[in-house]
Amino acid sequence: MKTGGERVIAAVPRWVLLLLAVAFCAQVTWQALQPPPNARAEALGAPAEPALLRTLALGEPIALAQLLTLNLQAFDNQPGVSVPFLDLDYARVTAWLGTILELDPVGQYPLLMASQIYAQVPDEAKQRRMCAFVREQFDRDPDRRWRWLAHCAIVAKHRLGDTRLALSYADAITRGARLASNWARQMRIFILEDLGELEAATVLLGGLLASGEVTEPKEIHFLTERLKELKAAGKSSSPLENRHPKP
Amino acid sequence: MDSRIAAIARYTLLEALRTRLPVLVLITLLVMLATSFFIETISVTEGARFQAGFYAASMRIASVFIAAVYVLVSVTREFNDKGLDVLLALDLPRSHYVLGKLAGFLAIAVLIAAAASLPLAGLSASPAVLQWAASLAAELAIVVAFALFCVITFNQLTAAASFVLAFYVLGRALTAIRLMSAHPLSGADTFSHQVIQFMVDALALVMPALDAWTQTAWLVNQQAPWMAMLELAGQSALYVALLAAATMFDFYRKNF
Repeated sequence: MKTGGERVIAAVPRWVLLLLAVAFCAQVTWQALQPPPNARAEALGAPAEPALLRTLALGEPIALAQLLTLNLQAFDNQPGVSVPFLDLDYARVTAWLGTILELDPVGQYPLLMASQIYAQVPDEAKQRRMCAFVREQFDRDPDRRWRWLAHCAIVAKHRLGDTRLALSYADAITRGARLASNWARQMRIFILEDLGELEAATVLLGGLLASGEVTEPKEIHFLTERLKELKAAGKSSSPLENRHPKP
Repeated sequence: MDSRIAAIARYTLLEALRTRLPVLVLITLLVMLATSFFIETISVTEGARFQAGFYAASMRIASVFIAAVYVLVSVTREFNDKGLDVLLALDLPRSHYVLGKLAGFLAIAVLIAAAASLPLAGLSASPAVLQWAASLAAELAIVVAFALFCVITFNQLTAAASFVLAFYVLGRALTAIRLMSAHPLSGADTFSHQVIQFMVDALALVMPALDAWTQTAWLVNQQAPWMAMLELAGQSALYVALLAAATMFDFYRKNF
């Protein structure tokens, strides 16, 4: 039967049909028997210069940045590598993340990877390196990047046990990120309190309330209560996380 | 080989010679070689490595482009000149035409690969260059077979060229796509991701992962194991046979 200007399948010689069927089955079988592709952590090379990549992007740096991000992600998230992030050369990872941010400065993905993924490895030096990377990148666009530094402050305090480092990050957010959420901008007060620097925390909290930056009644009430507690010179025994009002 | 298939293959080769394809390949080769010398002069260290790496990667792409476009344009011209109608009016099975054209194009692919690899003889070790040349010939064989399949199936240059380009880019990126889709950071359980992963896996069954062919690393780092080369040759032969069968199937079903 003719359909759409084509001849019937019977017009095709049997040996051609047989060859097609056999070749197709052989191709599918061959490919099915191949082991799945497996990325090796040591295969991660150094990135090219951002200027060169920008040229190679042919006017589409954002698309190239996104492609490079996914490519980088593929290196650390493969089957067959039991602790993939630890196997990576973090100097190169930060170089890649920095390059991607150069290509697409508005993108948040590289900072998410740095603070939420690469900083989670059970290796203090690598955690510190990633937090330092986020801190460095924060300065370039504080109002967009504060949430990743806030996460690093929590990593510094709870994972690294380095409250001074956490304080420096919280301080940077308070000073640099005017558009950050209040909970992030108030973080340094509670870290100071944990450090035992009650006087400084009291001054900061009083200043914050006096500045009028906090407008939510419940939040004002909560902070006022905290101020009273601080003034009573009794350091709260409740954990830091429970003191934070919801953002 | 049937004498009629051999004759068509011979005339396909002759056509390539008379349409100045060798000159185009030679000019491309010289341009790439000259650029690689420039790269070598501006590199502070590993000059030969830079030169070989640049030349191999760029000549590979250029060879694929030239071979694919040549097949597409050659067969399209034959359609437009009605030369095919004349051939079909003769006592010539359609399979002979396809096999003859394919044999001619495969010979052209081998010649392009041989020419492209000649300058590398002075830049890398001989076994590595031999592997690179053989692999490029196999890669070009797949590309010309796919181009022939597309142009016969679609009858239109634009559609066929688009498909060849998409096939090649997808083939080169297939392994990376599989790696990225196999284990996403989030959303692995969602229905959409499972559908996409199924499609990618299905695609991997019917497409060669062309990133495994003609690797520059063989020239500048370490040559490939010969077993891997045999495997590539087997995969290439199988895929060319599949494409030849698919082309003949489509060609037999066409009404002219």
